[in-house]
Amino acid sequence: MASVETPSRSDAPPAVRLRGIGKRFPGVIANDDINIDVARGTIHAIVGENGAGKSTLMKILYGVQPPDSGTIEIDGAAVTLGSPADAIKAGVGMVFQHFMLADNLTVAENVVLGAERLHGIGAAAREEITRISGSYGLGVDPDRLVEDLGVGARQRVEILKVLYRGARIVILDEPTAVLVPQEVDELFDNLRELKAEGLSVIFISHKLDEVLSVADEITVVRRGTTVTTVDPAGVTARQLAELMVGSELPSPSTESSTVTDEVLLSVRDLTLPDPAGGRPLVDGVSFDIHRGEVLGIAGVEGNGQAELVETIMGMRDGATGTVELAGTDLSGRSTGQRREAGIGYIPEDRHRHGLLLDSSLWENRVLGHQTRRPSVSHGLVDRAAARADTQRIIEAYDVRTPGPEVPARALSGGNQQKLIVGREMSGDPVLLIAAHPTRGVDVGAQAAIWDHVKNARRNGLAVLLISADLDELIGLSDRIEVILRGGLVGRFDPSEVTPEDLGSAMTGAGSDAPREEGSP
Amino acid sequence: MSGGRVRRLLLGAAAPVLALVAAILITSLVLLVAGDPVLDTWSTILSAPRERNVANIINNATVLYLSGLAVAVGFRMNLFNIGVDGQYRIAAFAAAVVAGEAWLPGYLNTVLAIVVAMAVGAAWAGIAGLLRATRGVSEVISTIMLNFISTSLVAFLLRKAAVRAPGSNSINTKEIPEGSRIPGIPFGGGVVEIYGFVVLAVLSGLAYWFVLNRTRFGFDLRATGQSTTAAVASGINVRRMIVIAMLISGAAAGLVGLPILFGDAYSYGSTFQSGLGFSGIAIALLGRNHPVGIGLGALLFAYLNEQSNPLQILVGVSPEIVAITQGVIVLTVVVSYEVVRRYRRRLEQQAVAAATDRPERPAPTEEVAT
Amino acid sequence: MAALLAAGVMSLGALSACGSSGGSDSSGSGSGDGLKVGMAYDVGGRGDQSFNDSAAAGLDKAKKDLGIETQESEAVDGEAESAREERLRTFADAGYNPVIAVGFAYSASVAKVAKEYPDIDFAIIDDEEAKGDNIANLVFAEEQGSFLVGAAAALKTKSNEVGFVGGVETPLIQKFEAGYVAGAKAVKPDITVDTTYLSQPPDFSGFGDPAKGKTAAQGMYDKGADVVYHAAGGSGGGVFEAAKSANKLAIGVDSDQYKTVDASLRSVILTSMLKNVDVAVYNYLKSASEGDIPTGVRRYDLKVGGVDYSTSGGQVDDIKSKLDDYKQQIIDGKITVPTKP
Repeated sequence: MASVETPSRSDAPPAVRLRGIGKRFPGVIANDDINIDVARGTIHAIVGENGAGKSTLMKILYGVQPPDSGTIEIDGAAVTLGSPADAIKAGVGMVFQHFMLADNLTVAENVVLGAERLHGIGAAAREEITRISGSYGLGVDPDRLVEDLGVGARQRVEILKVLYRGARIVILDEPTAVLVPQEVDELFDNLRELKAEGLSVIFISHKLDEVLSVADEITVVRRGTTVTTVDPAGVTARQLAELMVGSELPSPSTESSTVTDEVLLSVRDLTLPDPAGGRPLVDGVSFDIHRGEVLGIAGVEGNGQAELVETIMGMRDGATGTVELAGTDLSGRSTGQRREAGIGYIPEDRHRHGLLLDSSLWENRVLGHQTRRPSVSHGLVDRAAARADTQRIIEAYDVRTPGPEVPARALSGGNQQKLIVGREMSGDPVLLIAAHPTRGVDVGAQAAIWDHVKNARRNGLAVLLISADLDELIGLSDRIEVILRGGLVGRFDPSEVTPEDLGSAMTGAGSDAPREEGSP
Repeated sequence: MSGGRVRRLLLGAAAPVLALVAAILITSLVLLVAGDPVLDTWSTILSAPRERNVANIINNATVLYLSGLAVAVGFRMNLFNIGVDGQYRIAAFAAAVVAGEAWLPGYLNTVLAIVVAMAVGAAWAGIAGLLRATRGVSEVISTIMLNFISTSLVAFLLRKAAVRAPGSNSINTKEIPEGSRIPGIPFGGGVVEIYGFVVLAVLSGLAYWFVLNRTRFGFDLRATGQSTTAAVASGINVRRMIVIAMLISGAAAGLVGLPILFGDAYSYGSTFQSGLGFSGIAIALLGRNHPVGIGLGALLFAYLNEQSNPLQILVGVSPEIVAITQGVIVLTVVVSYEVVRRYRRRLEQQAVAAATDRPERPAPTEEVAT
Repeated sequence: MAALLAAGVMSLGALSACGSSGGSDSSGSGSGDGLKVGMAYDVGGRGDQSFNDSAAAGLDKAKKDLGIETQESEAVDGEAESAREERLRTFADAGYNPVIAVGFAYSASVAKVAKEYPDIDFAIIDDEEAKGDNIANLVFAEEQGSFLVGAAAALKTKSNEVGFVGGVETPLIQKFEAGYVAGAKAVKPDITVDTTYLSQPPDFSGFGDPAKGKTAAQGMYDKGADVVYHAAGGSGGGVFEAAKSANKLAIGVDSDQYKTVDASLRSVILTSMLKNVDVAVYNYLKSASEGDIPTGVRRYDLKVGGVDYSTSGGQVDDIKSKLDDYKQQIIDGKITVPTKP
């Protein structure tokens, strides 16, 4: 791989020059000696694993947090960014991963909101929106209600908002995390338009293939510092990843099949009506998972994955159909009874569903196992046993913590997730439900969690894997079902399918269900 | 490691000390603005109470402690039982009627009345619990409404049940027979005795601590309070927990009026102490829902209440100053605990970062992840 | 927080009163100068525009005229019985003698504490239950004053229907009702008297809820009554407002409310039943300063001017002779006014 010495394409000063940026939080150094030059008219990617310091760096650049040390220059002039307002004034705009749009307002209203002084709120503003939309190929209709828009279109509105405020430097934080492959391509086309108009784009991601396809330059951040800046033409994704991690990299490849013909989980006609009266959230889903089999569920977020999992877990009211685990009918049983029957559950949102953030690790060990030894006996919490078993999990699952008394909140995301995996495997489950098990965890923890899933499979568990990471799904699953609007619409063999095929099926393209713009 | 322990102890003491200092400063400022004598006020507040005042303080604290416990049970589950006030009044009334009728002899009558009080308090709170669990009605709203209803209901029933001495302007239930009263604990030989019920209050505190911290039920309750979503995912039947928690809170509320009833008033009437449930909210906040903390909070409130009269009569400060002081203390305690909590959390994260072999950052809760 | 602490609170007590000249009789000893008087108010204290204020007025007058030293303390709503006792004890310990307790809420505590301090004299207003050698019970013949305003209402009504709004249905307020009804029936035996109470004990909110008072009075005016008498403390303002909007008449209580209400409401006030707490307090202290402390029940009636009706505004000028005639008959004992409805 080639290190680029001075990444400037002209003699003009770079659009952004960061020198020696440092930022400490108590106990951690988030940024330490960050040096980046972003040339005008380029797409500059910043990659790094979780916790490497990308977020902090972007917050510094957008004026959300002041740096402890270092300088920021915009177009050659040193600036102090004390607030996002300062950043906007300096021509820096940011598109956050989570959209900040008011659903019940139109596109134009959302764009103008908070920037009424620029072009008023009337015809002039509309004209400006149309102009920006046209000149950058955003294709945004100012009069549509945001709630009618799809994810990709909403993201374009966010970009438009930033441009409307006069940004010449656009920061995008993990913009592709919420998009399906086809939408990613559209986004990249938009970014190239911006670049062609002379704007600079700072693109934060950990999806290396995407970065390689769109970026002009790539800066790798590790442990809060810039490792190197490379030319995408000279590196492979694997090399980049190793730069990020600083070591060899694991991959989620499946081992030889362990699938048996013994059905452990049998789901029939599972339906969850929408309490609001719309179409069912889960629509007549039927599938089997065998001993030693991983069933992957692919789907664009919001198509019923979460509801399917929660229905199987007995957390939703009003569901119909049957769920049988190892021959026992679980329908009508409570969540607690289902857990006792042998379901381990790694929830999608570990903060909301997996942990008591302010409780100690050993109390979190008890959570979900309140009816079972060793945590609880005779209605009393066995603190000593729970602590001891937590210590076992900490060691067996490499949870990095000073000890079991630490509150869960103090752990990093990856270590929290490892603790959850360890806990859910500790009740001798026959079925493991893993919803986005590696979302938001660093590469090291990701590899460990993949290993645990593979172990579970080898040990004869049935595994239901839900993931938005198609590589993960393809790598771990023995079989992949695609979910669309609550129903299973396609079955794929992971050894043959490509992410693009899955992407088409997930959006309904190529199946009998036509895709409609605006379906989330 | 011992350095760490010392630091933890210091941190534990920091919040209340910080709060008290801030409260004294703010109250002094209020006094100054009101034109009251600041030094005289503090020297009166801080002067050692007489023996009979100590007894009064303990008695008052006993009642406030039970009220604080009742509120705290709900707080631990994130339920705001604003209705302790109505619950204890209706329960005390029911107990007074039962005890006054004396269907059972001696202390059997007392026990029956206590059971009735807890049952009535639990039932009254249970209405709010059921509404919340089945209909999603906020317990804050329903308990406030139930407070109003209990005020009227008690008034109505009291008139039915009351015996009224001719010409008397106060109306009361039948007096509890002597054999069913709970004898006081003589204190210092003064005119005031300490309620015998103080023993039951201490036992209630122990039970509260044990159930919450040592039992599976307590774990479920605390887990639900911390995160309903995590509780649901872990298999806890949250709706049932809501109802049970309200029942327990109400049963505890049922005890609130009993020390007064069996140790002092011997009947429920128009001058029966009211507003205890609201003080209980402040005291539960003050005590951070911890059984010992609630005890300290109750003693502090009782102490300030007791100083209200000397303040007025000896210094000439209005009784509102005492209420302001109480309010300021609650506020400063809440704020200073939050400050110390954040500081402590940072220390913990530091410790975790130091213990792991590379500088991992704590998982952000609201930050946007990269 | 303060709001929370204060919430759920109703105003306990608080019926007002005003002027009379009590008979003074005697016991105890005292030395005019250097008298230290402690006054324990009911909830609301000085400034409640009502009962407590009336007592305070008597205290102020005594302080000015008699050169005595005074100190005051007021009750907190819903306080413990021990707080009331402690208030009296603190006065006694600090050397205040006599100690005056305002309102029947102090009944039990005065009885208890007076025993503990046999050398200190206590007075309690509106209560006859607390008995002791060192206790004076200052009470009023509210039924007699109410009889006169009842007669005035009956003389003025055109619809032959009048109303009574009581604050809280206690025996004390029932005395007002009984006198009022008797007075009205004495004038017109076939008259209709509507009566209602705003709250029932132990709920004392009826003394401090003008909205409730207004609603209750409105109902009576709508039904046909054209004069309404209120014995509802702070709720009375609502009664006057209802009278104003119905263009009918109302009767005030305790003090001469013609003088205390907003000027725009004066026109509706026919008269007021005067209950002269200030005079009772003043006379008690005057006797005390003369070394002649009263004990036992001191009843302030029409005869001694403890109760009366007011004439401010001139609306009863035309019937004054008839009212004074009734007054004389009561004083002479020719009419005995009932105290219970």
